[in-house]
Amino acid sequence: MPVLNGRELRIVGFLCNWCSYGGADTAGVARFDQPTDLRVIRVPCSGRIDPLFIAKAFMNGADGVLVSGCHPRDCHYAEGNYYARRRLEVFKQFISVLGIEPERFEYTWVSASEGQRWQEVVTKFTNQVHTLGPLAPIPEVALSQLAQTTGTDIREEA
Amino acid sequence: MRIGVFICHCGSNIEGTVDTAEVSRIARDYPEVAFATDTMYACSEPGQDGIIEAIGEHKLDGVVVASCTPRMHEATFRNTLERAGLNPYMFEMANIREHVSWIGKDREANTNKAADLVRMAVEKLRRNQPLIAKEFDINRRVLVIGGGVAGIQAALDCADAGLEVVMVERESTIGGKMAKLDKTFPTVDCSSCILGPRMVEIAQHPNITLYACSEVDGVSGYVGNFSVKIKKKARYVDWDKCTGCGECVEKCPSRKAPNTFDEKIGPGRAINIPFPQAIPKKATINAEYCIKLTKGKCGTCEKICPSNAIDFQQQDEIITEEVGAVVAATGYDLFDWTVYEEYGGGRYPDVITSLQYERLLSASGPTGGHVKRPSDGKEPKNVVFIQCVGSRDKSVGRPYCSGFCCMYTAKQAILTKDHIPDSTSYVFYMDIRAPGKLYDEFTRRAMEEYGAQYIRGRVAMVYPDGKGNMIVRGADTLMGRQVEVQADLVVLAVGVESAKNSPQLAEKLRISYDSYGFFMEGHPKLKPCETNTAGVYLAGACQGPKDIPASVAQGSAAASKVIGLFSKEKLKSDPQTANVDIKRCIGCGKCVLTCPFGAIKEVDFRGQPKAEVIETVCQGCGICSSTCPQGAIQLRHFTDNQILAEVEAICRF
Amino acid sequence: MLDKLKESIKAALPELDFVMGWGMGYDPLHATPLYMYEPEDVDNLVWGPLNVHNLAVHLPSLKGKKVGIVVKGCDSRSVVELLQEGLINREDVVIFGAPCNGIVDMSKIRKAVPDAHFVHSVETDDNGLTITTDKDTHKLSLAEVMADKCTRCRFPNAVVADHFVGEKREPTVENDAYEDLESFESQGFEERRDFWMTEMDRCIRCYACRNACPLCVCRDHCVAQSRNPHWVSQRDGVRDKFMFQIIHAMHMAGRCTECGECERACPMDIPVLLLKRKLGTVIHDLFDYDSGLDAEARPPLLAFKLEEESIKEKDW
Repeated sequence: MPVLNGRELRIVGFLCNWCSYGGADTAGVARFDQPTDLRVIRVPCSGRIDPLFIAKAFMNGADGVLVSGCHPRDCHYAEGNYYARRRLEVFKQFISVLGIEPERFEYTWVSASEGQRWQEVVTKFTNQVHTLGPLAPIPEVALSQLAQTTGTDIREEA
Repeated sequence: MRIGVFICHCGSNIEGTVDTAEVSRIARDYPEVAFATDTMYACSEPGQDGIIEAIGEHKLDGVVVASCTPRMHEATFRNTLERAGLNPYMFEMANIREHVSWIGKDREANTNKAADLVRMAVEKLRRNQPLIAKEFDINRRVLVIGGGVAGIQAALDCADAGLEVVMVERESTIGGKMAKLDKTFPTVDCSSCILGPRMVEIAQHPNITLYACSEVDGVSGYVGNFSVKIKKKARYVDWDKCTGCGECVEKCPSRKAPNTFDEKIGPGRAINIPFPQAIPKKATINAEYCIKLTKGKCGTCEKICPSNAIDFQQQDEIITEEVGAVVAATGYDLFDWTVYEEYGGGRYPDVITSLQYERLLSASGPTGGHVKRPSDGKEPKNVVFIQCVGSRDKSVGRPYCSGFCCMYTAKQAILTKDHIPDSTSYVFYMDIRAPGKLYDEFTRRAMEEYGAQYIRGRVAMVYPDGKGNMIVRGADTLMGRQVEVQADLVVLAVGVESAKNSPQLAEKLRISYDSYGFFMEGHPKLKPCETNTAGVYLAGACQGPKDIPASVAQGSAAASKVIGLFSKEKLKSDPQTANVDIKRCIGCGKCVLTCPFGAIKEVDFRGQPKAEVIETVCQGCGICSSTCPQGAIQLRHFTDNQILAEVEAICRF
Repeated sequence: MLDKLKESIKAALPELDFVMGWGMGYDPLHATPLYMYEPEDVDNLVWGPLNVHNLAVHLPSLKGKKVGIVVKGCDSRSVVELLQEGLINREDVVIFGAPCNGIVDMSKIRKAVPDAHFVHSVETDDNGLTITTDKDTHKLSLAEVMADKCTRCRFPNAVVADHFVGEKREPTVENDAYEDLESFESQGFEERRDFWMTEMDRCIRCYACRNACPLCVCRDHCVAQSRNPHWVSQRDGVRDKFMFQIIHAMHMAGRCTECGECERACPMDIPVLLLKRKLGTVIHDLFDYDSGLDAEARPPLLAFKLEEESIKEKDW
């Protein structure tokens, strides 16, 4: 289901408070233009991000998910992003078996000073997701019910 | 829950590209929202009063403010709630300025996005719990890393206020870059005359413990209770015995060692005391050049030392100090100017750095304060200064201005005239940056009273003329022509870069650094000496290029922050910590394994192993929450349910 | 071999509360878990391709008791994993191992023998089994009805055992080529999503997959049936069912030994093991790690390296 009359896609961002959220702030302070699709969820650390939050976002109809934390070695909590890197990489490779293009999910590192890098990451990622187009949400109801209520096959709708 | 939503205009900062009235209208339909309005400046006094009033009038028990970044004003509004009698943690912020209004002009998209962000904040707030901060004791000792002028100032201010100070200095003496300077601008007073007594104070102050020739090896703990591992590097001299008489330096036969204090232009020794006023005034052996340590022969120093202080067996030693706060004052290093091939790239002995020139000017320097050029010891008559060597130059990855080179170049031109009255100084510059009290007047004096020839333009090439001198060829952009100056000595105003290993230290301190390695301040305007890590403060050029007055000011500022922190009876811990649901915990210990702070311990609960969080140790990262498969350990205010609610708020359809 | 196994169990039994193995079930085609308390119970022990269950699933709930367990190669890896996670104590468990020829896949048998509901007798040997129903006699080769996991078995002998009887067998394959996964992923992304939607739509949320899983140790505290945290609703829709399977798979990442119990237990024959196999190969490739082989190893997702050689991050 397209957002904002089809001009936007649904992109969820998970940003660590100390580096990437600050980097996004820095980009804002510097008035670096960015696409408007992204909605940011602030978490203390990339280590807080259970990959299942990302799975949940995709199940609920997110078209893309972007995770950003502190650069390795620069984690505010010393080790959070190291754990995150492994979990997120495993998850990124995993989702292809679910039928979700791995390009719909990216994780990266942006420090609080890297406003320009943040702008670049958001812009490139948003374009990347737009290239793939919308991802149909997984229906909340049984397929049989879906066919009854909408009269269409979910696969056609996607 | 009765939630109040306040959409801030921030003047025109938000209202300019977001329809705040529309956002507040949409927000009224969000679940449990009892009141929503837009407001001119939510953070202003009338703005905050309006929130307090609305809390009373509409019986609100939770507040969402949609305005700037929470990194800016979350604390402000939490206080507002507290003043209104609510628990300060019943508050959420939607960032509709840095993340919305400032990054695009599409009003429709921005308004829609702002409404989404408000919805996320509302959904998160609905799942907030009132939190109460726990109190814990403070260890009222402070670690100052770096014994340059900024660190000295911070240490003395803290020590004078009655705090115990631990100072760690990488080199064998404190004093930093300032100790190498001959004179200081704009007063041309003697550098060591003003710094020397401060250094002595450090040595003599009963509250200060100094570790020279030492480095911070590791930092653990948190504000109020840091544990710092300090590596005392082997110096092969027992400093308890060394009297600093200098006998060993005189007699040391290894003369190839670089004299780092003299910026490698003077003669060096394998055993050395950097300069007469060194603090501590102790000898140190450079293991790389010591004949005894490299070849097993010699041992002259050992034989002649009157106090038997030489100890070739000495090893690095790790000691631990417990402190409650840290001031980083690690200063700067000079850019590697040899990348400038056009200036000779380090090939010509008479092309030197400004800091080397400083040593030539200094009475305690290798030439005893008589300016003699390195190649043949001749007194130079024509001295050419080249500005911005490694500053404001994107091609070498240093786009920033080093800030004080214009000033010290003017000073050096003046000093040159003082030392050699029949000399002429030429200064190739891009712009003259002299903003500061008496600064512009000072550069004017260099030109007008001391006859320094300022040429606006970059230097294209420096090359030897074959007769023992150098030719400096450059552009004079004001005259619009090429110029060539015959030079006896060329001095490069080498730019500033972050001190070696700054990123590594930042990682140990868990503070941020920018892409050049300078430490990041808490806020560019309002928190210039704080960092984002509580209890860690910044002083001097480690945060960015700074001259002496600015470094001293920041040293004092950092000290006042530490004194303020320690003036509290107890510190309050952030209550946004992890919490175990003991019924759900199966005691698998995965959280214990991954917690970076050792804040989770296994306890026995009716014969079953369970995890338990030590709340004052927990830093609130949430790694445990994402590790626990049962969701039994949850980070307060960032619980699974809260993050899931935010995801659902975005992805609803 | 079976006799030797029985002997060795009988010898150890006095020191143990009981030993878990397999006995005959409600008909000759089905084995069922057997708890052996007394020497005479041991006589009911069976060994062969019908011993499909992974008995390690019962171990965590028996913590504190001294028990014996008979394991196939695959089962033994689950035991190792439980040891690694500290959910059982090594000194409380006595492991009996024997070489395994492979087990049957009941779904395959049901397909090959439509009248398998009324089985009179089953005879097994090294190469296959003969099933006599009230209508007919079916001779099936083991290869025909073997569980998929056995066709790619790398560990036919217990990787950990206190008592191992019989001669160790050579592994069927040296490396798992993950051909099933490769073939599944040769489809387009949309086909894969459609496949899972149809499959998940059939899920009846019985949680047999979870309950059969020896590493689903959360048991009563599974997030699938919790409101705090509330990861999935109780709605009978595709989304929550799919989400649950993803949760199950991700919670198994770096732990799952691909014993296949989830898929075997599924009454709807939903190929849920495929999700875990994907994670298995990803983790193997990234961290050169196979779960259930070393009880002392630190599992890859609870560890890290400062430099991760195998992780190729996106270059923006």
